[in-house]
Amino acid sequence: MKRIFGVALGILTAIGGFVDIGDLVTNALVGSRFGLSLVWATLVGVVGICLYAEMSGRVAAITGRGTFDLVRERLGPRVGMANLVASFLVTLLTFAAEVGGVALALELATSVNYLLIVPIVGVAIWFVIWRVKFSVLENTFGLLGLVLIVFGVALWKLNPDWGDLFRQISRPHKPTDESLPVYFYYAIALFGAAMTPYEVFFFSSGGVEEKWTKKDIITERVNVFVGFPLGGLLSVAIAAVAALVLLPANIQVDTIGQVGLPVAVAAGKIALAIAILGFVAATFGAALETGLSCGYTVAQYYGWQWGKFVRPKEASRFHLVVLMALIAAVGTVLTTIDPVKITEYSVVFSAVALPLTYFPILVIANDPDYMGTETNGRISNFLASIFLVIIVVASVAAIPLMLYTKAGQ
Amino acid sequence: MSAAREFDLELHLLDRQVVDADGRMVSKVDDLELNLDDGGNPYVTAILVGPRALGPRTGGHLGRWMTAIAARLAGSQDPPRIDFGHVVDIGEEIKLGCRVDDLDVQSLEDWIREKVISRIPGSNHAS
Repeated sequence: MKRIFGVALGILTAIGGFVDIGDLVTNALVGSRFGLSLVWATLVGVVGICLYAEMSGRVAAITGRGTFDLVRERLGPRVGMANLVASFLVTLLTFAAEVGGVALALELATSVNYLLIVPIVGVAIWFVIWRVKFSVLENTFGLLGLVLIVFGVALWKLNPDWGDLFRQISRPHKPTDESLPVYFYYAIALFGAAMTPYEVFFFSSGGVEEKWTKKDIITERVNVFVGFPLGGLLSVAIAAVAALVLLPANIQVDTIGQVGLPVAVAAGKIALAIAILGFVAATFGAALETGLSCGYTVAQYYGWQWGKFVRPKEASRFHLVVLMALIAAVGTVLTTIDPVKITEYSVVFSAVALPLTYFPILVIANDPDYMGTETNGRISNFLASIFLVIIVVASVAAIPLMLYTKAGQ
Repeated sequence: MSAAREFDLELHLLDRQVVDADGRMVSKVDDLELNLDDGGNPYVTAILVGPRALGPRTGGHLGRWMTAIAARLAGSQDPPRIDFGHVVDIGEEIKLGCRVDDLDVQSLEDWIREKVISRIPGSNHAS
């Protein structure tokens, strides 16, 4: 019974924890501009994150080590360092975006300017990381994030022609007023939003925090293969309601309020309030994950004691890195750069950094020295290799497309 | 280490995680100290840790920078060393037979603990 409860809780957390600021903004933005013609990119991204998160979780369960720990061991100090710098910066940028997202969502609820809210959000994040138990932190915000199902309710309330929706998703047509480079630029953004590298750092390090062993692999697999796809469906629902409400009205999403607008139109005030609660939970939860991931990556590279499973005093350097990353993230948002813009860049740079994280995971998951009998099976290697090609193509194409399209204008 | 097992230093030692007798993470094997025995055969005498050991292996500007800052702060060019006699097991992790507090290899951790982390209320409570 306890086991079933644990599995159910894991699935629910995975669903609620899947969506972060990148998914919210990118899906709504793309839905409002491209309708459902880019849902395929989200779906491809979801399959990718399932494959690689499962691998990193399995590696963590068997070896008891986080992803970056093994990155250094496999790639050596030099390439590992280059990888660390790039991954850390992308995670820090995502952290800033999440912090801004929490503040913007609270601005929607309170009408207090978000810049005044940012420092309070910073203190709250630090307090939770400092004092709250890892499993409590993970479960609370994952479960609260589940209220984003309200986007699914809104979609149902809009009473769309489901057959037509399915046709738009399965036979994508680029809208005639958008150019092909812009179309692919946003495909990469959606892909980056679904596969953000910190998710793997956090997932694997979380496995170590919760002391997974070989017998937890089944639970880990169910979480990933059931929870993540259902979380991905939430992403699609966000895009779909934007496509149904905002696209015909010619509204292009550039604020968090516009992400929630279709919910208000379709299902009313209470639904909007629930959606805003969902924004706060999803972005706050992701802020904790990205903040911790900043510490995980650096500490694991250097071999420092890390994690919330020891007293903060015993992992001083780890906690200092997290604290400094938090200060940097809060400072970035306080420069008054629009957090929605930070988010848009963070998902694209995530796409650029993807091979750095995912290639070493694939190598380690195949190494019997580490994995014993739990190395990748043939199917998972076949799919992972295909994804590695997609990841590299997206990574190489991201920056040129960004420059050429002036970041999707 | 009398057991007849062959170790590839680069593959089985360098960049592996070092943990102490209590399972606390100490460092990575940032570099190794080798000596020659009477017959001219090299053998490992110590694990070298910290930026002064890692910097030269990282190379480039960043590596030089890392080494120089650490040397300046510590007032010495020589990295902290863990005598290889402390090593009790070489596997996925390098296990030591002693506690990290008994080794003088974590001056940065100790400094940050003393000056920053332990001054924040709650630093002594596991969460």
